[in-house]
Amino acid sequence: MGRPVAIIGSGQTKHGRRFDVTYPELVKEAVDRVFDSTGISPEDIDGVVSGTMPSMMEGVALTHFYFADVLRSVGKPILKTETCGSTGVSLAITGYYWIASGMADLVLVVGSEKMNEGDSQATMTTVVEPFYQRYFISGAPGIFSMQSQQWSVHYGIPEERVRAAATKLSIDHHNDAFDNPYAHIKKKLTEEEVNNARIITYPVRLWDVCPNSDGACAVIFASEKMAKKISKNPAWVKGVGYSGEEYWFGDSDKVVWQCAIDAAKQAYDMAGIKDPRKELDVAEVYNPFTFQELLYYECFGFCDFGKACDETLKGTFAKGGELPCDPSGGTLCTNPIGATGLNRVAEAALQVTNQAGDHQIPGAKLALAHAMGGVDQYNGIMILGSKL
Amino acid sequence: MATRVGIVDIAMTPGAESKDNFLDQVYKVTKEVLDKAGIKRADVGTVISAASDVFHGGMSCANSYYWDAGGAFLKNGSRQDGESLFAFIYAVMRILSGSFDTALVLGVCKGSENPENDMLTHFFTDPFYQRQVGLNETVAAALQMREYMDKYGITGEQCAKVVVKNLGNALRNPYAHIKKRVDVDDVLNSETVLYPLKQMECAPKSEGIVAILLAKEDVAKRLTNKPVWFKGYGSSMDAFYLGDRDLLDGQLKQAAKRAYDMAGVSNPKKEIDVAEVCEPYAFQELLWYEDLGFCAPGEGGKLIDSAATNMDGNIPVNPSGGVLATNPYVSRGLYRLAEAFLQVQGKAGERQIDKKVNTALAHGTHGFAGQCHAVAIIGN
Amino acid sequence: MTKEYNTLKNVIELPHKYAAGPAWTRFYDGLKQEKIYGSRCQKCKKVFVPARSYCPACQVSADEWIEVSQEGKVISWALSISHEFFGMPVSPPFITALIRLDDTDCDFLHFIGGIDLSDAKKVKDLIKPGLKVRAVWNEEKKGHMMDIRHFVPVSG
Repeated sequence: MGRPVAIIGSGQTKHGRRFDVTYPELVKEAVDRVFDSTGISPEDIDGVVSGTMPSMMEGVALTHFYFADVLRSVGKPILKTETCGSTGVSLAITGYYWIASGMADLVLVVGSEKMNEGDSQATMTTVVEPFYQRYFISGAPGIFSMQSQQWSVHYGIPEERVRAAATKLSIDHHNDAFDNPYAHIKKKLTEEEVNNARIITYPVRLWDVCPNSDGACAVIFASEKMAKKISKNPAWVKGVGYSGEEYWFGDSDKVVWQCAIDAAKQAYDMAGIKDPRKELDVAEVYNPFTFQELLYYECFGFCDFGKACDETLKGTFAKGGELPCDPSGGTLCTNPIGATGLNRVAEAALQVTNQAGDHQIPGAKLALAHAMGGVDQYNGIMILGSKL
Repeated sequence: MATRVGIVDIAMTPGAESKDNFLDQVYKVTKEVLDKAGIKRADVGTVISAASDVFHGGMSCANSYYWDAGGAFLKNGSRQDGESLFAFIYAVMRILSGSFDTALVLGVCKGSENPENDMLTHFFTDPFYQRQVGLNETVAAALQMREYMDKYGITGEQCAKVVVKNLGNALRNPYAHIKKRVDVDDVLNSETVLYPLKQMECAPKSEGIVAILLAKEDVAKRLTNKPVWFKGYGSSMDAFYLGDRDLLDGQLKQAAKRAYDMAGVSNPKKEIDVAEVCEPYAFQELLWYEDLGFCAPGEGGKLIDSAATNMDGNIPVNPSGGVLATNPYVSRGLYRLAEAFLQVQGKAGERQIDKKVNTALAHGTHGFAGQCHAVAIIGN
Repeated sequence: MTKEYNTLKNVIELPHKYAAGPAWTRFYDGLKQEKIYGSRCQKCKKVFVPARSYCPACQVSADEWIEVSQEGKVISWALSISHEFFGMPVSPPFITALIRLDDTDCDFLHFIGGIDLSDAKKVKDLIKPGLKVRAVWNEEKKGHMMDIRHFVPVSG
């Protein structure tokens, strides 16, 4: 394997409807924050990795040009990583390989999105080609509704039970978000409110769905030498994994979801994890939809296939449970797409370095961060630990 | 570095606009490079592609559509946006990290499905200022050209000579899009797009899907008896607003220095045997000569006058015909690299330069007046 | 006979609304009053125009607002005689130019007009680097870069 790599700091913006700032100003907020918190000077950075969502969502193409100044990248090498919704984790993985290769010691990684400036669901339809599938795909909720229906039918789980588990996740996460100063949607919800909320695409209802958020996240990756020099408390990259499947939505099984299983396996193998439920202390699972989070518990080996509802309702994945998931409130409460996966990585790093404040999972030493992209096409994972 | 990274083989589409389906083209090129290298898809470690949504025929999340056509089904992969040499270096990093033995690098841009380049580059602008005054890549280039001519006395004839040379070279390149035997007068008499820039001095909009297979040292030696080695790389970014920059003192010098330092090149004029540079506008090739250290500042015009960059000169530049002949926007950096690879291998056919090629340079640029540059050095 | 393959035409329109934030909002308000605002970096003291919320190089606040001169020198220019460009707010003929407004530290991108543009050679004889130009305003103001119609050469 390559050289050890650590995360030595992160900066997140306040997320939400950020019409108070321009897009570069929003990115600057995250970048300034990571430099302030680490005390590193931008001159010391060897390279910059930038990423956002598609041009059509942003209305500006090749945003690394637009952000060149605020990324502090002028006169520096740059990479521009983009893999749809999984961009954030792909950005982190790029930072990892850049340093693991020996070609850099300090890399600034920045993901961002200004969802509210464009039309995100209209953009989603352009992910789908114009020959065939574009006519049938009603944005992201349509896809996830189909996936969750397939899942419950596959395991014969009664609809009410799936609803109950999804409702618990919705209530818990919207409540968890109160403890996260950067979260967008924070709300005390009742079962009744969630169960009777407006249907987006059946069975997905309003409180099952993530918001459109504006926000940015900046993370600094470091080689072992630099991490030990600069930081008393680095988060070490223990494993990375990424897998993508075929473009056509109907071609593969999204229930026993191979690219999710493979991405996790790659990361676990690298980190030496045999029993993720026991060994992981916390997971930041990409959960733009409550139903999809259930499916990930199974694909990532947090529980047996078909058992995610039972375990969720038992509280296994809630705060105080055996493997708390998304104590930050997760993507369900905050979704600036190009930054979302990097937020998961930043949150996992905060957890293993005991810096997560009010949403700290006590004693967390090993954490998983995850993001998904495309029309249910990609999954990427990074595992962070408190020890080298 | 623990291991060396070798280029095993390449495949690419011709630049001419094609009515072949995009996915079929990606599939064919990917299959071709794997077949040439004698490796099965299952044995490919990682796939890194380059594509930009804005140059992707009206589709978002460019990497989604061609993921499996490009051999990446259930593989660990990623995508770089804007500059395809980014995908090359990211693949090199993945091999150097020890995580992968082989990497497939793809550059994907189907020009025939896109609107005009300038319509797309117009969206590089911020919506508040530069977009409102109509900036695009050609406008930026014309402003840069004016400054270059005014400052150093570069002549229209010298700029036109780049077109004569490159389109002439393209006549021997079966992959080139525009092939024309032209003289300086033809260029100077072509339509004025934006004075002083002539139509023939602006690159076309081309098809360009390219695949390059990389492998770590021992695997590369097993797969080919003529591996071409990665020697060095550098990139650098300039400030965003055109008016904040010195258009004649850009970031290519910095990118080249990083690449030369890594490759141990101290005298590029002597040590670089052939260069494939990215010149979407003819005069830029002259300016890039200077920034790459092939001549002194302001002497780009004299260098082309001396014929040193011709096929039979001391430092041939763009024996493929360059970007003026074939311009698949995002893929063009990898096209330069693919051509440099063929030159080092001695397999460039009729466009092979006469002298022995030990070290070759590939350059990519994207953005207004060269906002971002990338340079790769490879050798035998 | 080989079959000619079809193509599928597809036009995509997506609506965007960009957050202007305080700096652009104030700059556009200035344009409506025929004022061009720049701002000075608190660290390097350079004056940027259009005014910025932050210095591009120092990345510190550049919130000292200054009404800058409406005159400056031509740094570079390019003339379109007949070629149309997508997104261009004016039709040919036009001159795009980089102009260094007096006492500022970056170039301002806009148009030069008010002269005969039909002959490139004549234009070249007139417009040399360093030529002095001044802003001419449109009657109607929209809070847009094109509230300035163009810059014209200053005689003498």
